[in-house]
Amino acid sequence: MCQEFKSPLSKRARAMLEDFQASLEQGISKIGVLNDEEIHQAELERVFGRNWNFLAHESEIPNKNDYVLRSIGDDTFIVNRGSDGEIRVLLDVCPHRGASICRAAKGSSSHFQCPYHGWTFKNNGDLVGTPSFKDAYSGLDRKEWGLTQAPRVEIFHGFVFATLDENCPDLKESLAGMGWYLDMIFSLQDEGMEVLGEPQRFIIKANWKIAAENFSGDDYHLMTLHKSTYDIGVMQIPLRENMKGYHIQAGNGHGISFSIDLESKDPLFFYYPEEIVKTFNLENLSEKQLELARGSRVCVGNIFPNISFLMLPLSPDPKNVPPTPLFTWRVWQPKGKDEIEVWNWFMMYKNTSEEFKRASYRAAMASFGIAGTFELDDAIPWETITRNAKGTFAKKNMKLNLQMGMEGMGTAKQVMEWPFPGIAYYPRYEEGNQRHLYRHYLKEMLSEE
Amino acid sequence: MKVPFDLYQEGIEFFLQEAELIDDGKFREWLELMTEDFTYRIPVRVTREKAAPTEFSDLASHMDETKNTMEMRVIRAYSEYNWAEDPVSRTRHFLTNFRATMDENAENVIQYKTNFLLYRGKFDLPTFQFLSGERHDTIRRVDGQWKISKRLILLDHATIPMNNLAIFI
Repeated sequence: MCQEFKSPLSKRARAMLEDFQASLEQGISKIGVLNDEEIHQAELERVFGRNWNFLAHESEIPNKNDYVLRSIGDDTFIVNRGSDGEIRVLLDVCPHRGASICRAAKGSSSHFQCPYHGWTFKNNGDLVGTPSFKDAYSGLDRKEWGLTQAPRVEIFHGFVFATLDENCPDLKESLAGMGWYLDMIFSLQDEGMEVLGEPQRFIIKANWKIAAENFSGDDYHLMTLHKSTYDIGVMQIPLRENMKGYHIQAGNGHGISFSIDLESKDPLFFYYPEEIVKTFNLENLSEKQLELARGSRVCVGNIFPNISFLMLPLSPDPKNVPPTPLFTWRVWQPKGKDEIEVWNWFMMYKNTSEEFKRASYRAAMASFGIAGTFELDDAIPWETITRNAKGTFAKKNMKLNLQMGMEGMGTAKQVMEWPFPGIAYYPRYEEGNQRHLYRHYLKEMLSEE
Repeated sequence: MKVPFDLYQEGIEFFLQEAELIDDGKFREWLELMTEDFTYRIPVRVTREKAAPTEFSDLASHMDETKNTMEMRVIRAYSEYNWAEDPVSRTRHFLTNFRATMDENAENVIQYKTNFLLYRGKFDLPTFQFLSGERHDTIRRVDGQWKISKRLILLDHATIPMNNLAIFI
């Protein structure tokens, strides 16, 4: 980005963020940043413009020429597999007059044509057609007028990420400790994961940070907001038992939380049935990763800034179907200061039976997603928080409590000899992951580099 | 084959009564209108190129329910912890363009295609939401009573303009 184009933080926005920063280590967060136009505009550049964003999974575009249309912040990109088999991330903007060239959310095409004047591009981005070339553009060097590509693209276990900042550290480095935990999950099977169909998309009138905070390590909300899922038997790991586990600040704002029973004699592996566990290649895991995977019941996390995931066993039909492990992966795409579009993928290990994939999909859809018995309730407080954050008085005066698990608050203690990456606390009555998210967020927002 | 007018009319009457139960929040009575093999599915819609045969996903759904899972949802809906619907949404079904067909050999089964517009308002907010789409319903006469055995909901939305689907279509 041209440095002169980068918006400076206004005095007001800077003061709000510095005020938050000054109180964060006392476990106080500020509601005002959760619904503010200036903050939102700054986030588009400083957070979404600078970090790695998830766009698509390779399995969504398995064949040459396949594409899907995706977004980073408020920019739209074609994510495709070129005729040469290579995955690219192309800005959906015609370099002639700026119109969109892609008209479907998913499809297959070797070329894209702009409807305005007909400039035509190969799916590697090259400009190959300019109508009436001789009369109109005979001096044009087509090589200079191809589609704009996302500055950097990296693929991690089939997950396609892109950053708009050329100077962003490599994905692996950016993921910090989170990479180790994701490696553990995605390497269980040699074949890795695949999407189960297209993502659900829906709108929540809430700020993205509330969702990111929630998935970073808010296990405390299960006992009230999600109580109905216990009552109807969807969630069968007892509430108090489920709070046994670890919150891990995994670096760079990433947070992950495990419900775990490291003393279990039997390997748990998120309660995958034996025939699935048999397909795991445990040699892909280090000894320590294996130790963690064996004891895992539930894992939930947020990759900074806005990518969340969850693996756990739930029942879609408690009377007839046992809890089935599921995996949901979602992006909270900011559509404005007070709105997110949820992109919700359900995924499963590729080398499992169609029957198990369907069972896992049912368990996932029944609990997470727009009609999931868990997720039905989540948007309710998220939307009222967002509305309240706009209040003139609330914005200036409200401090919110983010102190759970701090010295003298509850029972959580830092695990001093944590054998895995990051800083861990036990049990999960703890909000260090959320503070970690905001600590990194504020650093990014206030940085003038 | 073409559905005889009286039967056609009977089916429409059934759907209007059914919608009233939903809009009045009488979900337990609504459950009684489902056959034991009832299914209810809302496939994900994806904007596709013009040549694509359908926009509806055969794999991905927003809901894919049986009578059992609907019962579970209704129990949940009446529980103390149904935060999603507290306060409850005000829904209003507008059902129109009823198209019916039936098989000559199955006089107790009718298939309807129906257009719907579903209003949803909540709390004191002046804003509201609509869902629009087509329902493909199968009704079957069981012991003299019409019941729904299958509902496929084809939404006119690729991105759903709602924060949840805690309501019934």
